[in-house]
Amino acid sequence: MADVRDIMELEHPASQEVTRESIIGSDKQRKRPPTTTKTQKRPEGMHREVFALLYNDNKDVSPLFPSDTGHGYKQTKIKLGMRKPRKWKWVPFTNPARTDGAVFHHWRRPSDEPKEYPFAKFNKKVDICTYTDAEYQQHLRVDGWTKDETDHMMQLAQRFDLRFILMADRYDTEKFPKRSVEDIKDRYYKICGIMSKLRGEKKIYTYDVDHEKRRKEQLKKLYDRTQEQIEEEQFLLLELKKIEARKKERERKTQDLQKLISQADSQSETPRKTDKKLPKKKIANPSRPSRVDTAHILQAVETAGIKFPDYKNSGVSLRSQRMKLPANVGQKKSKGIEQMLQEIGLELNPIPTEEICQNFNELRSDMVLLMEIKSALSTCEFELQSLRHQYEALNPGKTLTIPPQLISNLDLENKAGTGEIIDVVGSPSTPTS
Amino acid sequence: MSLPTDFGPDSGGRLKGVCIVKPIVYGNIARYFGKKREEDGHTHQWTVYVKPYNNEDISCYVKKVHFKLHESYANQNRIVVKPPYEISETGWGEFEIVIKIHFHDPNERPVTMYHILKLFHSGGTMDIGMEQGKGLLSESYDEIVFQDPTQLMHHLLTNTKQLTLARWEHNTNFEEKKEKTLKSITEAKQKVKAEIGVLKNRLKLAKETISQFKEEIAKVQDNQYVV
Repeated sequence: MADVRDIMELEHPASQEVTRESIIGSDKQRKRPPTTTKTQKRPEGMHREVFALLYNDNKDVSPLFPSDTGHGYKQTKIKLGMRKPRKWKWVPFTNPARTDGAVFHHWRRPSDEPKEYPFAKFNKKVDICTYTDAEYQQHLRVDGWTKDETDHMMQLAQRFDLRFILMADRYDTEKFPKRSVEDIKDRYYKICGIMSKLRGEKKIYTYDVDHEKRRKEQLKKLYDRTQEQIEEEQFLLLELKKIEARKKERERKTQDLQKLISQADSQSETPRKTDKKLPKKKIANPSRPSRVDTAHILQAVETAGIKFPDYKNSGVSLRSQRMKLPANVGQKKSKGIEQMLQEIGLELNPIPTEEICQNFNELRSDMVLLMEIKSALSTCEFELQSLRHQYEALNPGKTLTIPPQLISNLDLENKAGTGEIIDVVGSPSTPTS
Repeated sequence: MSLPTDFGPDSGGRLKGVCIVKPIVYGNIARYFGKKREEDGHTHQWTVYVKPYNNEDISCYVKKVHFKLHESYANQNRIVVKPPYEISETGWGEFEIVIKIHFHDPNERPVTMYHILKLFHSGGTMDIGMEQGKGLLSESYDEIVFQDPTQLMHHLLTNTKQLTLARWEHNTNFEEKKEKTLKSITEAKQKVKAEIGVLKNRLKLAKETISQFKEEIAKVQDNQYVV
């Protein structure tokens, strides 16, 4: 046994005899002769595999700081048979919170001193304000409340520790008129307020009976809704969300609008004219607040339409490569271009001479611009419609007239076919023609 | 080919601002056997080619043309180093042929074209007078643009010889096609611009109407708050 232990580099046990210590394992380490080798010994009880993670060979210093060296795990075995179990006793006790002196039993150690029942402290009593007859006659008389009723109310308050709901429930309705919780509260807190004022207290609790009544009424209404009403409300909320989302979308598009207009200007007119026109617009605009500033416009001119890369790089290339749509032109746009080209009867890849390339690219850029203007226009139409509905809602019987050239055929169909409400929430129709 | 010494391939200097354009024509002709060939099921003989649009010998500046055929062909990468730049094969199916033109100056990168080999008539193919409609032609025009060529390349590009003393003609009348295409594109452009103009005005009107409506609504709302 000892040889094996030597080979395995394990500790010699302190003694071979089976003693109480050897079983319990206490103080073993202290008796162990001090190890002379430099190598860190495996703490007792630590698994070999775990230990191997820490120490590969003697020279390897552990990257971990040993925190509990030489003592092994704190408790290798359960300490059995150290003490006799302490006794429990079934003893009677009284609860001082109770006035009836009832006796109950519970388990307790006889060694513990009998104490007051610890949960008695939770039996809190409310201080109910009191008044004398004279005080009542002088200060507390109110129309609608007799002294008898007030006394009854105060008794209930005392009895139920100001649980007003209970008070209202146990109210003596044979002798006195029926009172609501709010009525009782109102009366009680008014009395308290007057009394504490008389006693010169500065902090006075006030009870807003009207507010409370309204609040309860609202809660009652909310509770009394039928299933249909709840569903309708949810539906309306959903619609509201949709409308808000559309509105945001439209606002975003309105911002793009300005840049489209300026883009159209710069494309369809000679540069000289554009130069003249832009400042003019700036002068004309200030009366109307515009969300789009001039920097935005200038920037927009460059971005609308398609921006083809200018092949100025040195090297060889094919002319047909210059007609490729840039990657930033989306699928929707390129489909739209394709469709328009087919309608006109043009090839998708025309014969690539320099002139054709240039014209073809310009054509497609214009086509994208056209599509953008069209969609902007339909957004505008939609906004006009919704503004008109808003106006009609605000000002029943009156309406705003949308200029006829702004009403596209699609919208006319919409109006004839479907209701006005659907028109508001529905998506703006994008004219495809 | 004698070159001035300072035009060595390593000179690398590019002639800024110089742009030389070399139009080319590429495509294929195909001829139907009239029946399916017993031994391999092939039905057509075809020739894919690259040739200059103008009458000039492009071997001056073209080092080689690389045709990449369908992988089912033995030796699918075919390289032609001198004119005519063409590959003849037989087959039964259409596929995309990758045509890569390499130039004599290694500093100029090769250009790549893609041609769908046509064996059957469809839009874009032409009949060529061969045994009652059994021959067809599918070819495209393109232009190789040499932007800022190297000195060597510039020299090669500008010193080409005529390919033939006879008239150099193509099956497709590209000149007519160019004219027609340009005309229809310009017309389309005019049309689109006109439409943009109309819609732009409408857009302006719409914007003005919107702000007008908004003012009206604001007025009504103000009145309501006052009342």
